[in-house]
Amino acid sequence: MDRIVDISTDGLYLSVYRGFLVISSEDGELGRIALDDIGGLIVHAHGVTWSNQVFVRLAERNVPVVLCAPNHAPVSVVWPLEGHHIQGARLRAQLAASKILQKRIWQKVIVAKIRLQGKVLHANGKEGGGFWTLARKVRSGDPDNIEAQAARRYWKQLFGPDFARDQDAGGVNALLNYGYTVLRAIVSRAVCAAGLHPTMGIFHSNRANTFALADDLMEIYRPLVDQLVLNLLAGGVDEVTPEAKHALTSIATFDLESGPGLSPLSVQVSRLVHSVVTSFETGKATLELPALPSPLELSSLGRLVEEDDAP
Amino acid sequence: MTAFENKANNGATHLSGYQIMWMLVTFDLPVETKKQRKAATKFREFLLDIGFEMSQLSNYLRYCNGKEQFESYVRQIEQALPEWGDIYIFQFTDRQYENIVRFSDQARKKRRKNPKQLALF
Repeated sequence: MDRIVDISTDGLYLSVYRGFLVISSEDGELGRIALDDIGGLIVHAHGVTWSNQVFVRLAERNVPVVLCAPNHAPVSVVWPLEGHHIQGARLRAQLAASKILQKRIWQKVIVAKIRLQGKVLHANGKEGGGFWTLARKVRSGDPDNIEAQAARRYWKQLFGPDFARDQDAGGVNALLNYGYTVLRAIVSRAVCAAGLHPTMGIFHSNRANTFALADDLMEIYRPLVDQLVLNLLAGGVDEVTPEAKHALTSIATFDLESGPGLSPLSVQVSRLVHSVVTSFETGKATLELPALPSPLELSSLGRLVEEDDAP
Repeated sequence: MTAFENKANNGATHLSGYQIMWMLVTFDLPVETKKQRKAATKFREFLLDIGFEMSQLSNYLRYCNGKEQFESYVRQIEQALPEWGDIYIFQFTDRQYENIVRFSDQARKKRRKNPKQLALF
């Protein structure tokens, strides 16, 4: 189980004791978590102080430390320099990947995303059929920007005609930000552990973005976060409460079906990243994508037990 | 049970679907000579380094997400055995862990809680 550690209380001190990350406040130790179990560390509190060891020891384990602004949008990720024992070879393969190959990979990513968007709309009783047609229209490298066309229709249908995706807004947008942050941490870790360089994206590289590859690959899973947020809204949660955070981090254990069977999202992401590595090495864009979940599974996303799960 | 019910996404069984297991390392290490004490401390610290938590003196507990991880920890421990002393490694399922009965100062303590996916501070 990859645990997501979220620091949102002000004035905490983070340090390392033997194999543990120790979280303390002025009143003493609040808790400790085995370093090996951490899948991502997300910090959005003010006045948090660190021991340098925290970064060093987490980097050794390829755990990304995500620093967030108060709106839950990440502003920085502390990234290990060395993630894999044959990192050099992998980096070279990544750098040598042809433009054609990168465009092919991007095409597959976008097709998968648009299909999942359609599935999410369908699961929520909205018109999602058109998304299959849209997905078919995506050409190599998505030169027609079908992704944006799909997004325009998708957001309006999902959250109403007045909804606009906004990084700085609260409410639904903050929930989405938080969910994407968790997702970004999961994907970042997998990218890094596979020895790929996060900055060399396949599509996002033309944007000013340091974590381009993670952002590219997380596109596939974004609609799952959207569905989770919808489920939260249906349950009357419309702010980033501790309860909402628990639900949003459960995305890491959401089971998806793929070739080798059923496995949680965090494992699926590692598989996907490995298939990207293989694609770079062989020059053939073959991605290991999860099957689309059923409406029933989608509607169960983030539904956790209540009494036990209260923080 | 339908295929869907089998899946871990299904509400309450969200995490137990991953067959979380617990392992308990209990040991009895001699501490008569300085050398023995040093070996015992080294072993204890090794357990802490790989994420075992002390539940009592000479009892260290850790959860692992399956049989493979359990085996992996056993191998790691085997590599780090102190020269003397007895070490037992127990394993039990998440379900059994939940049912641990614990008394402290003649009072029955609340049952232990399983670790959560999100650690919120």
